[in-house]
Amino acid sequence: MDAPAQVATSQLKTLPQIGPQKSLLALLFPYFLVAPTLILIFVFTIWPTTQTVIGSLYKPPLTVRQQEQFVGLQNYVDLFDSSRTTRPDISAVFTKILVNTLVFTTSTVLVSVPVAFIFALLLNRKIRYLGIWRFSLFYPALLPLIGAASIWSFIYADTIGLANTVLRSFGLPTVQWLNIQSMSLLSVIIVIIWKQTGYYMIFYLAGLQSIPRDIYEAADLDGANIWQQIRFITLPLLRRTTLFIMVVAFTAGFQMVEQLEALGLGGPNDSSNLLLYYVFQKFSDPRNWGYVNAITVILLLILMLFTVTNFYFFEWRRIREDEH
Amino acid sequence: MFQKNRLIIVLLALCITALFSFSVMAQDAPLEINFYYPTAVGGPLTQIFDGYAAQFNEANPDIKVIPTYAGGYNDISAAIQTEIQGTGEGPDVAVMLAADTQTFIDNGYIVPVQQFIDEMEDGEAYVNDFFPAFLLNSVDGDGMVWSIPFQRSTPVLYYNKDLFNEVGLDPEKAPANREELIEYGKQLTLPDGERWGLLIPSDGFPYWLFQGFAIANGQNVVGENPAEVFFNAPPVVSALEFFGSLPDEGIMPDGVIVWGDTPTAFTSGKAAMIYHTTGSLTNILNNATFEVGVGFLPAGDVGYGAPTGGGNLYVFTTSTPEEQAAAWRWIEFLSSPEIQSDWSAGTGYVAARQSAWELDPLMSLVAEKPQYGVAREQLEFADKELATHQGLDIRNILGTAISRVITGEMEPQESLDQAQAEAEAILSQYR
Repeated sequence: MDAPAQVATSQLKTLPQIGPQKSLLALLFPYFLVAPTLILIFVFTIWPTTQTVIGSLYKPPLTVRQQEQFVGLQNYVDLFDSSRTTRPDISAVFTKILVNTLVFTTSTVLVSVPVAFIFALLLNRKIRYLGIWRFSLFYPALLPLIGAASIWSFIYADTIGLANTVLRSFGLPTVQWLNIQSMSLLSVIIVIIWKQTGYYMIFYLAGLQSIPRDIYEAADLDGANIWQQIRFITLPLLRRTTLFIMVVAFTAGFQMVEQLEALGLGGPNDSSNLLLYYVFQKFSDPRNWGYVNAITVILLLILMLFTVTNFYFFEWRRIREDEH
Repeated sequence: MFQKNRLIIVLLALCITALFSFSVMAQDAPLEINFYYPTAVGGPLTQIFDGYAAQFNEANPDIKVIPTYAGGYNDISAAIQTEIQGTGEGPDVAVMLAADTQTFIDNGYIVPVQQFIDEMEDGEAYVNDFFPAFLLNSVDGDGMVWSIPFQRSTPVLYYNKDLFNEVGLDPEKAPANREELIEYGKQLTLPDGERWGLLIPSDGFPYWLFQGFAIANGQNVVGENPAEVFFNAPPVVSALEFFGSLPDEGIMPDGVIVWGDTPTAFTSGKAAMIYHTTGSLTNILNNATFEVGVGFLPAGDVGYGAPTGGGNLYVFTTSTPEEQAAAWRWIEFLSSPEIQSDWSAGTGYVAARQSAWELDPLMSLVAEKPQYGVAREQLEFADKELATHQGLDIRNILGTAISRVITGEMEPQESLDQAQAEAEAILSQYR
C-alpha cells in the first residue's frame, strides 16, 4: 500500500459516521427540499382538482335544510342529454358552448399563427423604422386582455361605435358586430387574433434569427428562389418553434375568456359564450356546482389532451431521437 | 416540586388577569360591523357611504360601522358563501339584489329582519312608509319581511324634447301607449341607422325591461309564490310579440341592444327615446346638451306597468346576535327618511320611503327638476321584479327566451313555452 492511499483511508475514518438516527434525517432531506413545491402543487392543483372531480359526482342541496346527493355521472349525462334532466336550460346550451369553444380556439390559432409567421418574415430584414413596425405589431400583446376588449367594445358599439361610423361615412351598410348571433363569435375571434398575433410573431422572430445566414447564402448560390427558401429551409428549421407556438396558442385559447366581459357577455343566446366563461356565469349559485364541476372536468380533459400532445412532440420524440 | 407548582400558579394568575383586562377592553371598544356595498350607478358612492358611516358612528359610540366597497352584487354573495363554508370573513350587513331574497333564504344566508321590526315601537308605521311596490321583493309567502328596500330603481322612458320639437311632436307629452310609441318612433327615426326612434336595451338582463311590457298587459311573469312563474301566459306572449316586432317597425335596430351604450346613444342624439333605469337620470341630465323628458313606460293592454329593481339591505346568519342587532341599527339609520332623501338626491335611486320625498334635499330637487319625480309617480303601477327560488337561473331562462326572439331564432310562443318548461323543471323541485 503506498502513501497517498493510506492518507485517503485515514481521512475516510475521520469522517463522521452515519448512524441509524442520522440516516433518517438524510433520507428525509431531499423531501424537505422539494416540500415547498410539493405543498404548493398539492394546495393549488391536486387538492382543488380532486374536489372538482368529487363535486362533479354530486347534486348540491336545493336549500340549507337538505343534504347533497350522490348522483354518479348523472351531471355529465345531463350536459349532453336534455330529455330527463332537472336543468334543461343548461343542457340546451352546453353543446353549443362546447362547439363555440372549439371553433374559437381552432380559428384563432389557425389564423394568428400563420399571420404571425408572415409578419416575422416581413420584419426579419433591414427596413426603415424597423423598431416602430415591430412595436406596432407587438403592442396589442402587451395590453391586458380586458383592456384590449374594452377598446374593441368602443369600436364595435352599435349606433355609436367607430367601425359603424367609418362604414356609414363611406355609405356602406353598418354591421351589428356583437348583437346578432351570426356575427358575435366572429367579432370576438377578430379581437383575439389582433391581440395574439404579435405575441406569436416574437417567437418566430427569435426562431428566424437563430437560423444561420450562410444556409440562405448557399441556397442563393444553388439558385433557390425566395419561396423555395421558405418552403425548404425556414419552415423545416422552425418546426420546433411552430409546434411550441401551436401548443401554447391552443392552451391559451381555452383559457382566454375575460374579453367576453367587455364584448357582449357571451351573448346573444350564448352564441359567443365559451366554456370557462360559462363556468364563471353559473358559479355564483351553489346549486349549479354539480354542473359547474362537471364542465370544469371536461375542460380539464380537453386541456390534458393538448398537454399530452405537447409531451409527445417535445419530450417523447426527443427521448427517442437521443436513444438512436 | 413546590417551586414548579408556584410557577404554574403565577402563570395562571397572569393569564386570568390578562383575560380579564381583555374583556374590560372589549367592553370599551365599539362593536365592529362590516357593511358591504356594490356599485351599480355612477357618482361618488364611496364618499357618500363613508360620510354616512362617520355620521352614524358618532351618534352610536358603541358601534363602529366599516363600509367596504365590494365590487358587484355577485362578489358579496361569494363573500357570504365563503364565510359559511368556514373560511374568511364576510359582511354583517350588505346591499344585495332585492330579487334574490328567496334565494338567500334557501341558501341560509340571511335572517329575517321582521324580528327587529317587531321590537320597534312603531314597527308597523315604519314598514308602511315604504312604497308597497318595493316591499314586494322583501317579503316571503307568509308576509314576513326579510330585507329592507334601499337602493331601488324602476325603468322609465327618456325622450329628447328638442327632437320632439323638431319633428313637430308635443315635447311635454311622452308617448302614452304602444301605438303612440310606434307612431312617434317612426317620426323620429332617420334612415341608415343615423338616428333611431327608440332603443330598448336587451343584453345582460333583458327580463327586467320586458317585465314592464308584461305587467302593462295585466300579467306579471311572477306572482306571490316563489316556486311559480307565468312565462307563457297569453298576455306575456303578446308582450313579447310586441317587443319583438319593434325592429320590424323600423324604429329600433335588429339584434341585441347593449345596456351600457344606450344612455350614450341617447345623449349623443343617436336615439330619440330610450327605456332605461331611473338610476341613469343624473348621468343623462349631466351629459345631455338638449332638454330631457322623462315619462312612464307607455301603457299596454290594461294600463301602465313597470317592474322594480335594485338592492335591499340584508342581515346575515354568519353574524352573532349582537352583531345582527347592531347591523339592524345601521339599517334603521340608512332607511331613515333623512338619509333616503339625501341618498336619492345624490345617486338618482328612487327613495324607498314615502316620507323621504317630503324632506330636503330630495323635495327641492324634484321641484327644480321634475324629471326626478316621474319614477315615484310610476310606482303606483309597478309590480315586483322576477324573484323565485334559484332566482339567477330563472331570470337567465327568461332572459334567454327573450333574446331568442330578438335575434330571430324563435317565435315568441315557442320560446316562452321552452322557457316555462325549463323553469318548471327547476321550480317543481321546490313545491
